[in-house]
Amino acid sequence: MVALELQDVRRHFGGVKAVDGVSFQVPAGKVTGLIGPNGSGKSTLVNLIAGVLGLTSGEVRLHGEAISTETADAVARRGVARTFQNIRLLPEASVLDNVMIGFYRLERSSLLASLLGLPSSRRETRELRERGRALLARFDMSAYEHVPAGGLAYGFQRRVEMMRAVASNPAVLLLDEPVAGMNDVEASALGGIFARLAEDGMAVLVIEHNTRFVAELCEEVHVLDSGRLIANDTPQEVMRDPAVVAAYLGT
Amino acid sequence: MIDFLKANQPVFDFFLLTLGFAYSQQIVLRCGVFSLASAAFAALGAYCCAILVVNLGLPPLMAIPLGAVLGGAAGYLVSVPLARLRGVYQAIATLALVEVVVAITLYAEPLTGGAVGFNNIPKHVGTVEIALAVAVVIYLLHALSISRIGRGFDALRQDEYVAASLGVSSRGQHTLAFIVSGLIGGLFGGLQSMYAYSVEPHQYGFSFMVTTLAAIILGGRRSLLGPVIGSAVVILLPEISRPLAEYRMVVVGVVMVLVVLYTPQGLGDTFLSWLSHRRASKQAPPPAKPLAADARTTKSKGDTYGRA
Repeated sequence: MVALELQDVRRHFGGVKAVDGVSFQVPAGKVTGLIGPNGSGKSTLVNLIAGVLGLTSGEVRLHGEAISTETADAVARRGVARTFQNIRLLPEASVLDNVMIGFYRLERSSLLASLLGLPSSRRETRELRERGRALLARFDMSAYEHVPAGGLAYGFQRRVEMMRAVASNPAVLLLDEPVAGMNDVEASALGGIFARLAEDGMAVLVIEHNTRFVAELCEEVHVLDSGRLIANDTPQEVMRDPAVVAAYLGT
Repeated sequence: MIDFLKANQPVFDFFLLTLGFAYSQQIVLRCGVFSLASAAFAALGAYCCAILVVNLGLPPLMAIPLGAVLGGAAGYLVSVPLARLRGVYQAIATLALVEVVVAITLYAEPLTGGAVGFNNIPKHVGTVEIALAVAVVIYLLHALSISRIGRGFDALRQDEYVAASLGVSSRGQHTLAFIVSGLIGGLFGGLQSMYAYSVEPHQYGFSFMVTTLAAIILGGRRSLLGPVIGSAVVILLPEISRPLAEYRMVVVGVVMVLVVLYTPQGLGDTFLSWLSHRRASKQAPPPAKPLAADARTTKSKGDTYGRA
């Protein structure tokens, strides 16, 4: 089943064609890869899907519905979660609070119940705190529950960001360079988590630089260069493609 | 002790009123809006209440809530054009709003009494009523801060991008913060007019803004304890240092500079984060295991994402 579909997506900044006619699909239940050299438009594409940037033309569809005209928060509420290339946490908040804000999309307390502190709102907060703790345990972060996220080491900050994205139980998970700066052991451990999320039915799109990581994880890889897709195949085939080799290594 | 409290009761009342205004100021800051409009909301509440009670003969019990509602409505109206602004631009825009309200109260003389002020308001409100209002506001703000709305506010203040990526609508939450700020400001404006016998335009001008803002900066921008400490310092310090005569404002200034230098988060917030740090260090994080270990051993599927 196709969860996310891009059709002829373009984004121009003045004369710069950052993304220039990109079409592909992200199926649910799989990890799809998107690779490309620096400046090829990968992060712009993530921002276009997430609604942070507006499209110059083209369309992004989630489960067949166009989402390309919606604002970032509306896209998030529909179930598109993302991580950021440069980790962005709520630095003052504790690790648990950082994860709990991930549940925001799922919360159902009405405005009045929240303002008056009615039992329904309090119960929801309690339940979410428990679910947050369970998630912390799963990512082996229970020991850092009360630690302010801004003071954590880099690798842990990545984990917190990942937990926050996963907490919202998204239909589509966009990961912008999730293993940048990690060693191979940590990277493959995270890869295992992504694979399991996909097994559970999530559509996962991994945007990466690390071609080895993508090759291990994805069944299908799209290659972006100068805002255009230049290849789309299994990782093995893609890495043999002369156009891809040229884009990565130069001609 | 009782004698001391009795002698200082007006100071205590003034502290409670300032505390109310400080909460009106804090709630917008908490969700990342640099609004100074609380003074305008307070003025609207105060004049609305005075006019309703004196000119129209409404009972104060009706007039005070109506003043709060007027403040809330003004908060909503202000939030519409301000949704596009951020940071210092919001501060300037709301500063202008405060001046507009002061100007209106000056020129609408038949209704407001102009520069002389609205005088001869019967006193309907004392310490108990104000304290009750403060208690209600603290309860409501506490409920709000532990709910999804509070979490949304905190996320917006710290990183608007991240908040949006998680589904928090900055427009909706900012509007809500303005309305709540307006309600609280209007409520305490009304209480003040029913307490102080008179209302005059410059009461809700620049110095009002400085006082409430100072209370928040001294006390803290996040916790409910912050404004309590901040207002206490702002109101009590000049009283305590009264024997120093002309030099007392120097003492106030020096204390403020020291607090800002050494506890930039404010006294209340610094104290609370010290408490939670202590709790965190008691937890003593063990040396981190590589993530690999648990990724392979944890087999429980779905539960943490809320899937059955």
